[in-house]
Amino acid sequence: MEPSLFDIDTGTDMISSELSRVIELFQLPFMQRALISGVLTGLMGGMLGSFTILRQLSFFSDALGHSALLGISLGLLLGISPTGVLLPFSVVFALLVTYLLEKTQLWTDALLNVIYSSSLAIAVITLSFVGQYKGGLNNLLFGDILAVRQADLVFSIVLLVICTVFIGLTLRTQMLISLHEPLAIARGISVSAHRTAFIVLLSLVVGISIKAIGVLLISAFVVIPSCAARLLSSTFTQYVVLSATIGAVSAVLGMLLSAWFNLPSGPSIVVTQLTIFLGTIAFPRRRLRAS
Amino acid sequence: MLTVENLTVHRDLYPAVQDVSFSLEAGMDAAIVGPNGAGKSTLVQAILGILPRQAGEVFVLGEPLGRSGQLPGQVRQQIAYLPQNFLFDRRIPITVEELVGLGWEPLGLRWPWTDSRQRFLAIQQALARVDGAYLRSYPISALSGGELKRVLLAYCLVRPRRLLILDEALAGLDIRSESEFYQLLCQLKREQGWAILQISHDLDMVRRHCDRVLCLNRTLRCQGVPEVALAPDSLAAAYGTEFVRYRHRH
Repeated sequence: MEPSLFDIDTGTDMISSELSRVIELFQLPFMQRALISGVLTGLMGGMLGSFTILRQLSFFSDALGHSALLGISLGLLLGISPTGVLLPFSVVFALLVTYLLEKTQLWTDALLNVIYSSSLAIAVITLSFVGQYKGGLNNLLFGDILAVRQADLVFSIVLLVICTVFIGLTLRTQMLISLHEPLAIARGISVSAHRTAFIVLLSLVVGISIKAIGVLLISAFVVIPSCAARLLSSTFTQYVVLSATIGAVSAVLGMLLSAWFNLPSGPSIVVTQLTIFLGTIAFPRRRLRAS
Repeated sequence: MLTVENLTVHRDLYPAVQDVSFSLEAGMDAAIVGPNGAGKSTLVQAILGILPRQAGEVFVLGEPLGRSGQLPGQVRQQIAYLPQNFLFDRRIPITVEELVGLGWEPLGLRWPWTDSRQRFLAIQQALARVDGAYLRSYPISALSGGELKRVLLAYCLVRPRRLLILDEALAGLDIRSESEFYQLLCQLKREQGWAILQISHDLDMVRRHCDRVLCLNRTLRCQGVPEVALAPDSLAAAYGTEFVRYRHRH
């Protein structure tokens, strides 16, 4: 019996020393900023994501993420910092996409593919003119949540307030637009103005989060929590609130996971989202069945 | 109630509705009949401002419909529209209560909890009126065709309206549910004093229930009381002579 008691003792010791290491880590300002940034992105991504997937715009955040490389490379060519370029670029991209969607009447996913693969091509060509780019393409692709600055946080908080107020004040209008556009128009809702406002907001959320999460993973924050929330919810309001909550909770758990096992932060959050999503599939879906 | 003057609507470059004029008085139940592709849905969608029009004027409750479909909010509140085959994504998580609540909502900038008590009562009454109180917390994905139509009717009557525009409201129902739905609709029409403009394929039903018929085949071929507008000559003008001979044999 002695050896096993000894084992348990060492095990407990190891866990408590790991725990104190994680606690110490979260006392560092950059970790705290990373945690807050993750929660803010989770909340905004989840909230807007719930409408994004219903309107079949899931691919939009992915396309915007990829196209953002073009913005960043143009910024490098002109000597402007990536942060200065990202937000204006995202808004212009959003307006261009809505314009092209309405003008061409093509399928959303096909059109988004045209735009993002071509912007990626132009971005790579532009980067070849910049020459040696030492800023770290890797950081742009996968993000660096530990490098989040105070100013980024302030902007994220302002954006979260704007998103919450916008969705709060127009919740029922957004519901009707997601459910049936002609019905919404018959009620006098300017669907195209609402669509544009929503896409601009979504693109700002993606744009502000690219630095922390990276262009390749940002769409996970928009899509995975909403899909998980959809599987759990029966009412629309519950669905939107749950989606934002799952976004925030997975950011906290993911950061802990990353600190505990010393893993990259952004991917750890996405893996947590995935775990929650898989968990919801196992949850009994009594509300989804058609009688 | 509703006045349409020389309305022309194009779909792609072709006129789908041309030079149509008619008017609808309070309490009237008018049916638009005509073959497939005659422009019936196009006509009602242009009246509601869903489709842009190329020429003509539309007045709803005395107010002119703007070029891009604008109408004062007050007027919009008093119209209800049920689209043809209300096709929606069944994966959208929304309950019957939430859907009917959307009909009650003024839809401006409002917090979701504003007037929640009034909303709750209005939803309850509207659902009870269509014998659908038990459906309140159902997800709409779980409704049968007949239940969905009743819920949509509750969406219309959750707030007092003056004009109801139905685009083949009965499509997809079996004969029994169809006649039940019609009885309910007629009852509500009398109670609420609705004027109704509806698209229908069921000429017998139109004969029984409507007091005005518009025969449409791109242009308005004839209009009047059912006895006149559904007479063989008028039908031949809208549907073609083959159709009339067919109806007379059966």
